[in-house]
Amino acid sequence: MTTAAPDAVTVAALQTALATEHAAVWCYGLVTAFVPGDLATQVAEAALAHRARRDATERVLADAGVTPVPAEPAYRTPWPVTDTASAVALTVTAESDTAEAWRSVIERAGGPQLRSSALTALVGAAVRAARWRQTGGAPLLTVPFPGAP
Amino acid sequence: MTRSRLARRRVLTAALGTGVLALGGPALAACTTGASAPPGPDPLEPVAARAEEDAVLADAVAAAHPDLAPWATALAADRRQHATALRAELRRVRPTPPNTTSPTAAAPVDVRADDLGAARTSLVDAVHSAQEQAAAPVGGAPGHRAALLASIVACCASHEAVLP
Repeated sequence: MTTAAPDAVTVAALQTALATEHAAVWCYGLVTAFVPGDLATQVAEAALAHRARRDATERVLADAGVTPVPAEPAYRTPWPVTDTASAVALTVTAESDTAEAWRSVIERAGGPQLRSSALTALVGAAVRAARWRQTGGAPLLTVPFPGAP
Repeated sequence: MTRSRLARRRVLTAALGTGVLALGGPALAACTTGASAPPGPDPLEPVAARAEEDAVLADAVAAAHPDLAPWATALAADRRQHATALRAELRRVRPTPPNTTSPTAAAPVDVRADDLGAARTSLVDAVHSAQEQAAAPVGGAPGHRAALLASIVACCASHEAVLP
């Protein structure tokens, strides 16, 4: 990295974002087992995006001399995932969680490079959330301020 | 406040371990109020004006094209919320604008009912250029503004993604 070492606030925001990426990767692993084959590509692409984001965030933290937070062995889902509907709903939650974390990075981190990368992550999460809402037949597909707490 | 809100909203919590996620909400306020407004026009002004124009356009499309109405109506609602939030931020920085040109209502738009393709294109162009416009200042804006603009970019991108 050519940028200066991130300050403590930025590191905390990045660690939170990394934790939500770990959770998202885990979620998509779980979801795979419950969605029909025609959604497999949508799941695989989302999982790939989150793994890439997780790896990139780990690199940024490691380059700054910070130990990246590890993934948890397991996560508690907000509802039991038992079928396509509950699985698709979980993807919206995972995307919303990551969106919130990346928006927080933008709010608390100063550097334009980090903000640009976080913006890409936020946009990706918001787009996937909207597509999953569409897949799930939700009446409203978008939110006005993705990632806003 | 911030912490409890984060804890409540971030529903996907670790089942085991020490709850790293809970560390994510330091109570540091990122929003600096009271800073004197820089000279010249506020860079958020055109972003707010564009949001108002997009809302008017999307309403007109919804009225002329039932096929696009659900999507266009949702877009109009979201863009109106963007305008409201941006105007609130503009007023916060400059409670009394030097040039008291109160935001004029966006001009009405004529949408031809016999050209669905053109109506769809006009909305795609609108959300596309709105993303570029709102993304440009994200790198250099104060944190709370950058976050607001980033959410607007993400919202417009999500509309583009689900367009019928």
